[in-house]
Amino acid sequence: MHVGIDLGTTNSVLATFDGTTLSVVPNAVGEVLTPSVVRIDARGAELVGRRAFRFLETDPANTRGEFKRLMGTEEPLRFEASGQTFLPQQLSAKVLISLLADAEAVLGYRPAAVVVSTPALFELPQNHATMKAGKLAGLAEVTLIQEPIASAIAAGWRADAEGFWLVYDLGGGTLDVSLLETREGWLRVVDHGGDNFLGGKDFDNALTDWAVARLAEATGLPALSRTNPAHRRPLSKLKAACEQAKIDLSRLDRTSIVCAEVFNGPDGIPVDADLPVTRAELEGLVAPLIERSLDVCRTVLEKNRLGVDAVGRVVFVGGPTLMPALRERVGGFFGGRVAEGIDPMTIVARGAALYAATVGLEARPAEPVAPTGVVVRVEHPAVTADTEPFVVGRFLPDKGEKMPIGVRIEREDGGFESGVVEVSEEGAFVIQLLLERHRQNRFRLSAWGPGRREVELRSPDFAIVHGVSIADPPLARSVGVARSDNSVLVYFEKGTPLPARRTAVHKTVQRVPAGSSEDALAIPVVQGEFSRAHLNRLIGSLQIRGGRLKKNLPAGSRVEVTLQLDRSGQLHARADLPEVGESFEDVVHVLVPTSTPEVLEKELEVTQRRVADVRRRGFSSGKPALVRTMKGAADLLAEARAGLEAARGGDADAAARVHRLLLDLNGALEQAETELDWPTLDSEASDAIEVSLSWIQEFGTPAERQLCESALNDVAEARLARDSAALDRHVRVLRSLSHAAYVRNPRSAFNSFEWYQTHVSEATDPRQAQSLVEQGRKIAKKGDSEALRQINRQLGELFPGSAEDRRRSFGSGVR
Amino acid sequence: MAAPSAECENLLRQHLANPFLVLGLEPDASRDELERQGAKLLAMLAAGVRRAAAYSTPRGRRDRTPEMVRAALAELRDPARRLLHEWWAQGLAGQSPGAGTPRS
Repeated sequence: MHVGIDLGTTNSVLATFDGTTLSVVPNAVGEVLTPSVVRIDARGAELVGRRAFRFLETDPANTRGEFKRLMGTEEPLRFEASGQTFLPQQLSAKVLISLLADAEAVLGYRPAAVVVSTPALFELPQNHATMKAGKLAGLAEVTLIQEPIASAIAAGWRADAEGFWLVYDLGGGTLDVSLLETREGWLRVVDHGGDNFLGGKDFDNALTDWAVARLAEATGLPALSRTNPAHRRPLSKLKAACEQAKIDLSRLDRTSIVCAEVFNGPDGIPVDADLPVTRAELEGLVAPLIERSLDVCRTVLEKNRLGVDAVGRVVFVGGPTLMPALRERVGGFFGGRVAEGIDPMTIVARGAALYAATVGLEARPAEPVAPTGVVVRVEHPAVTADTEPFVVGRFLPDKGEKMPIGVRIEREDGGFESGVVEVSEEGAFVIQLLLERHRQNRFRLSAWGPGRREVELRSPDFAIVHGVSIADPPLARSVGVARSDNSVLVYFEKGTPLPARRTAVHKTVQRVPAGSSEDALAIPVVQGEFSRAHLNRLIGSLQIRGGRLKKNLPAGSRVEVTLQLDRSGQLHARADLPEVGESFEDVVHVLVPTSTPEVLEKELEVTQRRVADVRRRGFSSGKPALVRTMKGAADLLAEARAGLEAARGGDADAAARVHRLLLDLNGALEQAETELDWPTLDSEASDAIEVSLSWIQEFGTPAERQLCESALNDVAEARLARDSAALDRHVRVLRSLSHAAYVRNPRSAFNSFEWYQTHVSEATDPRQAQSLVEQGRKIAKKGDSEALRQINRQLGELFPGSAEDRRRSFGSGVR
Repeated sequence: MAAPSAECENLLRQHLANPFLVLGLEPDASRDELERQGAKLLAMLAAGVRRAAAYSTPRGRRDRTPEMVRAALAELRDPARRLLHEWWAQGLAGQSPGAGTPRS
């Protein structure tokens, strides 16, 4: 049995998959949706789910919901009456415990290993917190999957038609659009995009703002304001009434926003709201938001050079997609090709359960195996589109047990029998099977020892489901190491299948004395798509601490860094220092920053100035597309301003949202600025090509020439697409190749030394640099280019990039 | 001769992890062959079969890990990426001392 959990912001769902049937497990009150709400009363008694939800409006001081938005932060959530505080992950664990108890009631055992879905926008700290929640809930094993991928799997696993699909997932606060493809029995997530600031909440806010204005008109009293902490409660009540009206308008043409005693008027008399609203009015309010969501769909399709007609079907996910106006507009955009029969509220949990089957995550706790027989390890895909997959096995006999020499596999229905296959010396065998299509195939393994005597095996049975094979989940954002010059060495590109592992070489830029508790060298790990480190999110840092070193680590030492991401995207990192023979694995996990309104205010001001500057430059350089982009930026700035006001009113979620919004906005600005700098970048690329070609042709190895040719193709492609970031990246490759060839020039050591001589004052340690320059002069006089190269290398270590670059690269100590 | 820079070494490592080399297949392998070979290698690595734990490159044998096999499969499932790797694999095969002979 395989179990998947959609641990949602508003509601959570648990689904099971037994290899044939997908089911959603109802909770104790018979509902499939369990509100992600926790209540703790004065005596410390806990309520989770629907019963807790009932107190959300009436007793918010002791009832908490939407804590998923704060996952990965250290924001303590207090329950006033009991005086207890919990971290968001601890409250998520309580929701998980409740879901697992519901599953136990149905399955007869408590699931020990599950797949939990997380939003695509979650970064490593938030995923880390979700894993912790799973562990706190007593799960032995937790694997994470991104929500849009889970939806895609659930929508596509029984796909009879080949082609492209689009999953339109509108959650409470975010929109995720995933493009997937079914081809030759393989389901693959091709790409996904999204808007981290567009969700059902925005639809509710649009109606709430409208209701606030109508209420002010009707009563003649000042409008309620999000910036006023005293208005939080009345606004929250009004918003709940608006949410109900929105749901009602899914089936009615008109209704009323009814809310008793929204607030007390100046005379102390409570003010009630009873505001008639029509479906047409609601549709008018949300139309711009729906159009914004279609822009995201267009972008994903354009990026993959696909037209709307190429999408065979669109799948709706999330509560807000139940709104008729949205289904009509988005469905109409895709020519009415909407996948039917999919429940948008439970699809994510179903996909998570299917994924659990794909990765062979068995929910039932392991039972003791029969104590006798030879252990055999059988490896095979749990689900596959291949009707003739391979199975690989290896016998692991205990001392005194004989290694089998022959093996045979039979299908339970008698439709396949492998014949006797020889076992290799190490006890391994590889057998190709034959599967019955679209069903679970059960097999039994038999083994023989010398003299054709049958060998008893401990676990000879296994099963394979024939269905759609699901490609490994892709990494949502690139991960790499920030270098001291503020560049990034990308270890895993966006889209890399998980799990992933890669080792790369760096050089240290500072000395770390052995035994020093104060000195440490940081290897920052960042996530994002920008070539400049500071624009990405810091997700962890590997620390080489002097206190743990047995020998001094000189500047310029080789560091082999290995980054590993498990299937859930959890980061593991190791630094090997071959020169001192030591390894470090201490990753400092970074929490999601919780910025104060004051810090956000300053960041907002700087961003506003940047937007104005880019707009001005866009106008003067005659780039209307850029000016249009910046118009969008102005809207986001206004949104950030409003969010900041809400953050001042005490809304912690709004602060996190503004922080993320500014990060995204600055990323867009970076791209816009690079676009403005295109002529310069293009001309720099031409210079780099000219120099590289001459050096590589004269001094390059055949491999370098090949690499150079490839890099030139990439540069040409980037130029054609006017992709500044790609051009920047490929020109850097060309420069490094050119540099490798250049050092073979006998004169190169003398030329480089000349550069160091003239820039000696810029070294991190000018005294040491001066001493090396003096040694170098003597060597240069003798004409010993090899010895001079050694001096240059030492000098190079003293020029790791400017102090400003180092600061911006999160203090990186490597390059 | 000077030791290669970290940048060059990293490029070379990446280059020798060409998906066709990792999977031990020729650049004209069909999609079915890729998937089947990938699944087989993953199963062999999971079972600890020794001969699956390394692959041949023009610079000698290198360690093969499940992550590399998964990455190779993902790269070759994307038609545009596959074209690039085919081009590189053909270039690398020319350099290999064992060029033209099947790889294991």
